[in-house]
Amino acid sequence: MENTPGQRHLVMGNEAISRGILEAGVQVAAAYPGTPSSEIIEVLSQVAARRHMYTEWSVNEKVALEVAAAASFAGLRAVAVMKQVGMNVAADFLLHVALRGIRGGLVLISCEDPGGLSSTNEGESRPYAKMMEFPLLEPGDFQEAKDMTRWAFDLSERLGSIVMVRSVTRLSHASGNVTFGQLPEDRPTADFNFNGAMLDPDTGPMINLPGPVTIIHRRQQEKMARAAALFETSPFNRYDGPERPELLVITASACQLYCREAIEILGLEQRVGLLKLGTTWPLPIQLLQRHLALCRRILVVEEVLPFLEENLQAFAARAAARIGIKQFFGKNDGALPSTGELNPDLVMAALSRILDIAPMGRDDAYRRRAEAIFAKGAPPRELTFCPGCPHRASFWGIHNALAMDNRRGFVSGDIGCYSLAALPCGFESLKTLHAMGSGLGMASGFGKLSPFGFDQPVIAVCGDSTFYHAVMPALVNAIHNDANVTLVVLDNSGTAMTGFQAHPGLAVNALGETVPTVEIPDLCRAMGAKVRVCDPFDLPVTQNTLLEMLDDPQGVNVLVLRQICALSPEKKGKKRYDMAVDPQICRADDCGCNRFCTRIFRCPGLGYDPQKGTARIDEVICAGCGVCADICPSGAIERKQRS
Amino acid sequence: MRIYGPQTLFEDVQQRGLCIGCGGCVALCPHFKTYKGKTARLFPCDRETGRCHAYCPKAEVDLDELARQSGQPSYPASPAGGYQRIVASRSGRRLAGQTCQSGGTVTALMTLALASGRIESAVLTGTKGLVPHPVRVTHPDGVAACASSKYTAAPTLSGLNAAIEAGRRHIGVVATPCQATAIAQMRANPLQQDDFQDPAGLVIGLFCTWALDTRHLIAFLDQRMDTRRIRKMTIPPPPAEVLIIRTDTGDSEIPLDQIRPLIPGGCRICPDMTAEWADLSVGELEGRPAWNTLIVRSETGRALVDEAARDGWLETESYPSGQLDHLLGAARGKKRRALQQARADGLLNSAPDTCRAALRLDAKTVDALIGDGEECACRY
Ligand SMILES: Cc1cc2nc3c(=O)[nH]c(=O)nc-3n(C[C@H](O)[C@H](O)[C@H](O)COP(=O)(O)OP(=O)(O)OC[C@H]3O[C@@H](n4cnc5c(N)ncnc54)[C@H](O)[C@@H]3O)c2cc1C
Ligand code: SF4
Ligand code: SF4
Ligand code: SF4
Ligand code: SF4
Repeated sequence: MENTPGQRHLVMGNEAISRGILEAGVQVAAAYPGTPSSEIIEVLSQVAARRHMYTEWSVNEKVALEVAAAASFAGLRAVAVMKQVGMNVAADFLLHVALRGIRGGLVLISCEDPGGLSSTNEGESRPYAKMMEFPLLEPGDFQEAKDMTRWAFDLSERLGSIVMVRSVTRLSHASGNVTFGQLPEDRPTADFNFNGAMLDPDTGPMINLPGPVTIIHRRQQEKMARAAALFETSPFNRYDGPERPELLVITASACQLYCREAIEILGLEQRVGLLKLGTTWPLPIQLLQRHLALCRRILVVEEVLPFLEENLQAFAARAAARIGIKQFFGKNDGALPSTGELNPDLVMAALSRILDIAPMGRDDAYRRRAEAIFAKGAPPRELTFCPGCPHRASFWGIHNALAMDNRRGFVSGDIGCYSLAALPCGFESLKTLHAMGSGLGMASGFGKLSPFGFDQPVIAVCGDSTFYHAVMPALVNAIHNDANVTLVVLDNSGTAMTGFQAHPGLAVNALGETVPTVEIPDLCRAMGAKVRVCDPFDLPVTQNTLLEMLDDPQGVNVLVLRQICALSPEKKGKKRYDMAVDPQICRADDCGCNRFCTRIFRCPGLGYDPQKGTARIDEVICAGCGVCADICPSGAIERKQRS
Repeated sequence: MRIYGPQTLFEDVQQRGLCIGCGGCVALCPHFKTYKGKTARLFPCDRETGRCHAYCPKAEVDLDELARQSGQPSYPASPAGGYQRIVASRSGRRLAGQTCQSGGTVTALMTLALASGRIESAVLTGTKGLVPHPVRVTHPDGVAACASSKYTAAPTLSGLNAAIEAGRRHIGVVATPCQATAIAQMRANPLQQDDFQDPAGLVIGLFCTWALDTRHLIAFLDQRMDTRRIRKMTIPPPPAEVLIIRTDTGDSEIPLDQIRPLIPGGCRICPDMTAEWADLSVGELEGRPAWNTLIVRSETGRALVDEAARDGWLETESYPSGQLDHLLGAARGKKRRALQQARADGLLNSAPDTCRAALRLDAKTVDALIGDGEECACRY
C-alpha cells in the first residue's frame, strides 16, 4: 500500500478497495468484522499511522456507519465497511443519513456473499439503494474495485449523498492486477458547522425532524436525478459487441467476468452484445435506452436476486413506445438461478438455450481427467471445531447439562464459530440460529411461555464479540421482563471467526493502541443478572454450574465461559499438555465406551487405530488442551504437563 | 431374558415414561446419568446388546427365568413370591438410640452384615435436600445415617454399579422391589461374561406400593412449605390416607389423593410389593408403628436373621395372625393392578417375535394372578 503510483500490483479485491480508500484521502474508517469484508480495515489499520488516518472496529455495523458519518459531518472523507448482514443492522441509521445528506464524502462498502460461502444467508443489500434512495456502484474487476471506490467519494461529495459500493466474495477474496494512483497529501481539519439555517445542507445542524421531511426528501430525489445524469457518461458503464447483436447481455459486478468468458468460449462475439454496468442505481436512462434499442432479446446476469433485471424490465415497459417490446431472460424466466453464485458454465448454458446452440460438451480428455480425479474423491472433511477449541468443551458442558436436566431443554444459538454447535461437533445442541443477538432475544421470548404450558429450559449462547454487537439489548430485555433464561457467553477473547479483530473486551484497538476494556461479567452484573465465570476446560465445574442455573426458577443467569481460542496468536502452536492413550486401559469397542472419544467427543486430534483396536492421539493435530483426558470414562487418556 | 441395547432401552423405557430412575443402567458407561431422581441419556450408543438393557426392571423382565435362577421351578402365582417365613421384627439393644423409619430392622441387619464381614460395603440411599442419592458405606456405624424412607424413586443402583466397576464384590444393598429385580437380573450374568462373579453379597428389599417422582414432589412441596425444614416423611397405615411430613416446626398432613399424581408411570406396571427377589424383605407392620414385617427368603437371609436375633441386633416375634391376610391381600392387589395395566398398555407378554415387553411370565400364572378374588383394600 506504499505510494507507488503508476505501478501495477497483484492485489486482493479487498486490498484494491483499501487502496481506493487511501487514494481518496479518507481519514476515518470504521467497520464490524465479517467475511468477506474484514481485510479492508485490517489493511487500512496497518498504514493508518503513516496516512494520518483513524480506523476502528466498531461494536456493530450501525455504530460503524455512525462513526463514519460523524467524520463526514465534520468535513472529512469517511468510510464504513460491512458484510451484507451488517447492512440490516446499519439500516435504520442508513435511512436517515441517506435522507439528510452528508458533508465530507461518505461511502458505505458492503461485501456480499452470494451462495453463503461464509454466511448463514445470501441476503442482498442492493435493494437498500433503491428503497432508501442513494447511489449504488458495483465494480466488475480489481482495477474497478480501486477506481470506483476512489470515485465514490468524489461522487458522494458532488451529490451530498452517501454512496454504496457493493463487492462480492469472488471480487473481495480473489486477486488481480491493479495499477495504483496517487495518494493525496492534503489533510483537511475536522469541524462540524451547525450555525447555519436549519435546512442548510452545508452549514446547518444535521437533523431529521418530522416537519420538513418532504422538503429534504425532495432534495434527496434531486440528488438521485443528478446521479443518474452523471452515470450516463460514466466510464464504468461499457458496451462491447456488434452494432446489431441478436442478444444483449446486461450485467454488473463479478458476473461481467463470467459473461465475457462465456461469450468468448462459445465464440459469440459477433452475435451477442455485452453491456456492463458499474452504476446500477439509479439507472442511466439514456444509456439504457440506446442499448436496449439494439435488439429485442435481453439477458440479465447478476447475483443473487433479479434486482437489475426487474429495474430494467420496469424501465423497458415505460420506454416501450420508443424502444419496442423486449423479451427478457434472467431469473424470472428461469434462464439463470435466483440462488447461489453464478459461473461461466451457468451463463453458457443460458446463452446456448436462448440462442438455440448445442450446449458445449467438455473437451473429452479434460472430462476423462476430471472424472478420474473426482472418482478418487477428496478426503471427507466434516465441519468441526478445531483441535483444542474451547467451544467443544463448552458445548460438552452445555449439552450434558441439558441432557441431565432432562426436560427437553435446548440452546438458542447465535452467529460465530460456535454456530457449528448445530452439528455433531457441538453435539447438535443449537436448535435455533438466526441473526446476531437473536439467541438471547429468542430465549427471552421462550422464557415467557410458561403460562402457556412451556416447560423446556432454554440456554442462549453468544460469543464475546457478538455480546457487545447485539446481545446487550436482548439481555436488558430478558432481565427487565423477568424471563427465566440462562445466557452462556463463549468468551474466547477475540472475534475469532473473522480473524481475531479486537473488541471492547480487549485492551487493544484496531490501531494497536492500549484502550480501556468493557468487562462482560461487570456489565451483566450491573444490568442485574446473576453472573458466574468458569473455564470451559474444567468440565465438571462448567456442567454443575449450568445445572444450578437451569434449576434456578427465576430470572436471568449468565455464565461466562472464558478460554482463549486455540488458533489465537497467543496459543497457536503451543501445547499445554503432552497427550497419550494407554492401550492397556483403552476399551475402544468394549461395552462401556463404544469408542466414546472418537464417536462422540470427536476432537480431530483423536483417532482410532484399527490394528491395535484402541484410540490414539494424532500428535500433529492435537493442540494439547488436555480436555479429552477428562471425557474418557476409563481414564485411558493421559496428559502430562509440558515444562 | 431378551437383551437389547441402549437405544431400545431409551425408546422402550425412558421415552415411554416407564423409567423409575433406579440407576440400574447408570455408571456402566458414559451415556446414562442420574440427576434429580431421573435417569438421562446423554448420547446415543448403538450397541445391540448392553448391560443397561439387561438390568433394567422395566424392560423384558422374565419373571419365570428369575424364579428358576433363585431355585424355584417357575414364578409362583402367589402374592408375595417365594419365602421361608414371615415374622414381626424390630432392632434389638445393639442398635439402641437410632431413629429409623419403623422398626429399624433394615438398619440393624445391614449394620450386622457389615460388622460380621458378610459384606465388604453397603450401598444405601441418602438424600441431598429432597433428592435421593446412593451412599456407599464401609463401616458398620455408617449405616444408621441412611435410615428412614425416602418416598422418592432413588438411583441407588448407580452406586452399586459404580462400586462393581471399581472392582468391589460382596456388596450389600437396600433396595426397593424394582431395584431388587434389577439386581436379580445382574446376578444372572445376562451377558454371559467369562469372569463373572455375583457382586451382591446381600439384598435387603423394602416393601413398596409406589414411589414419587423427585422433581415433581419437590415442586409440589415447594409451594406448600419450606422444604429445607423437612426431617422425615411417613405414610401411616390405613385408614389414614395421608403423607405426614415432619418438619422442625411441626407436622403437616397431605392427603394421598393429592400426591398420587406424582407417582411415576413405571410404578403403575410394577407387580412386586414385597421385594420378591431380595434375600430378606422388610416393610411396616400394621397397627405397630415401631415394628416391621420381615420376610425371610434365602439361606443368606435366614443366616443373617438368625445371627441377629441371637446376638441382640434384632428382636423377632411370630407374625400376628390377622395381619398376614392383610399383607398378602395388599400384595395381591398390587400385582393384579400392575398386570392389568401392563396388559392394557401392551407391555405384558407381547408377541416375542415382533414386539418387546416390559414383563413376561407364564400366561396361566397371569390368569391366576389377575383372574380371581375381589379387589383387596390396598394400604396406599
Ligand atoms: C419408596 C418406598 C415405598 C415404601 N412403601 C411401603 C409400603 O407400601 N408398605 C410398607 O409396609 N412399607 C413400605 N416401605 C418401607 C418402609 O417405609 C420402611 O422402609 C421399612 O418398613 C423398613 O423400615 P426400617 O425401620 O427397618 O428402615 P430403616 O432402618 O429406617 O432403613 C431404611 C433403609 O431404606 C433405605 N431407603 C430409604 N429410601 C429408599 C429408597 N427410596 N430406595 C431405596 N432404598 C431406600 C435406606 O438406605 C435405609 O437403609 C416403603 C419404602 C420406600 C423407600
Ligand atoms: S480412549 Fe477412552 S473413550 Fe477413547 S476409546 Fe479408549 S476408553 Fe474409550
Ligand atoms: S488434548 Fe485431546 S481434546 Fe485437546 S486437542 Fe488434543 S486430542 Fe483434542
Ligand atoms: S428403570 Fe432403571 S435401569 Fe431402567 S432405564 Fe430407568 S434407571 Fe435405567
Ligand atoms: S412401585 Fe415398583 S417400580 Fe415403583 S418404586 Fe416401588 S418397586 Fe419401584
